[in-house]
Amino acid sequence: MTGRGLRPVAFLVAMLGFGLRLDTRWQGTAMALLAVAAVVGALSLRPAPRAFVSPDERR
Amino acid sequence: MPVECRPGTAAVAVLVIGATIVLALRGLARVQVEPGGEPDTGEAFIGPRVRAWYRGLIEPIEEQLADWGTRPDHLTYTQLAVSVLAGLAFASRCVFLAGWLTIFAGTLDILDGGLARRTGLAGPHGAFIDSVVDRWAEAATFLGLGVFFRGSAMLVVVALAAFSSLMVSYVRARAEGLGVELRSGSAQRPERFVILGFGAWISGLVAHLTCPLLGRQSHLVLAAAVIVLAAAATWTAVERARAAAAALRVGAPR
Repeated sequence: MTGRGLRPVAFLVAMLGFGLRLDTRWQGTAMALLAVAAVVGALSLRPAPRAFVSPDERR
Repeated sequence: MPVECRPGTAAVAVLVIGATIVLALRGLARVQVEPGGEPDTGEAFIGPRVRAWYRGLIEPIEEQLADWGTRPDHLTYTQLAVSVLAGLAFASRCVFLAGWLTIFAGTLDILDGGLARRTGLAGPHGAFIDSVVDRWAEAATFLGLGVFFRGSAMLVVVALAAFSSLMVSYVRARAEGLGVELRSGSAQRPERFVILGFGAWISGLVAHLTCPLLGRQSHLVLAAAVIVLAAAATWTAVERARAAAAALRVGAPR
């Protein structure tokens, strides 16, 4: 899955984390999910890798 | 289960949702709707542009699921399980969580159809299972909502919303059985997911944000969402019945 494809996953995980934090006593799980969402969200915002050809290899 | 007010967490959630809405609106502005790409859904709340944008958003997930060899039936049954959990969350007064589960179930409902078409597994068997499981899933969520509003007049509105939602699907199925195709209506399944899911989400946030002022959690927003859902679903069911009756009258022998 590409970086952009991770965005909805990050959002869904974040909202699950917020849901557990707001509505339940599972505070540890909630914080872990929010941390995972932050990492996935950061990965999803990275620019997509592009093909790179060094100047030496160009013809 | 919710025992504490958490306005700080709710405020952070509002910021995250706000940032996501800004990103979504930017994406939405770039979406090109292909003529004939999406079926005509009449006067549905969710237009073809939003449908195309959401499809594009979840397409990478669909691709990944196809690569993993996931079958559409798996997603259909997972959707049922998630809807049961949404009902349990409503019954336990975990409103924000219930909203998230409702939206997640709606996403799975879109994904199973997309995956079936992508993997070439779309057919009458899958369509039948999907329709039947969808009705059970909806009933499970409404049952939980009924438990949430037990003892109040809102229970009648929940019953009306549940009945009308099932009638929207029943009228279409019955009409199709008689050879009339119906796709119109403002409260089709995705719209019902959005009204209930986002209504519960917003209600959960508002309840936590206003909790320190009111001294308790108030879910007026959820009640308003259920009233809108009941009205829209009833209107859609009646409009569909009227359209089907008109179409059948034209073709009926005198």
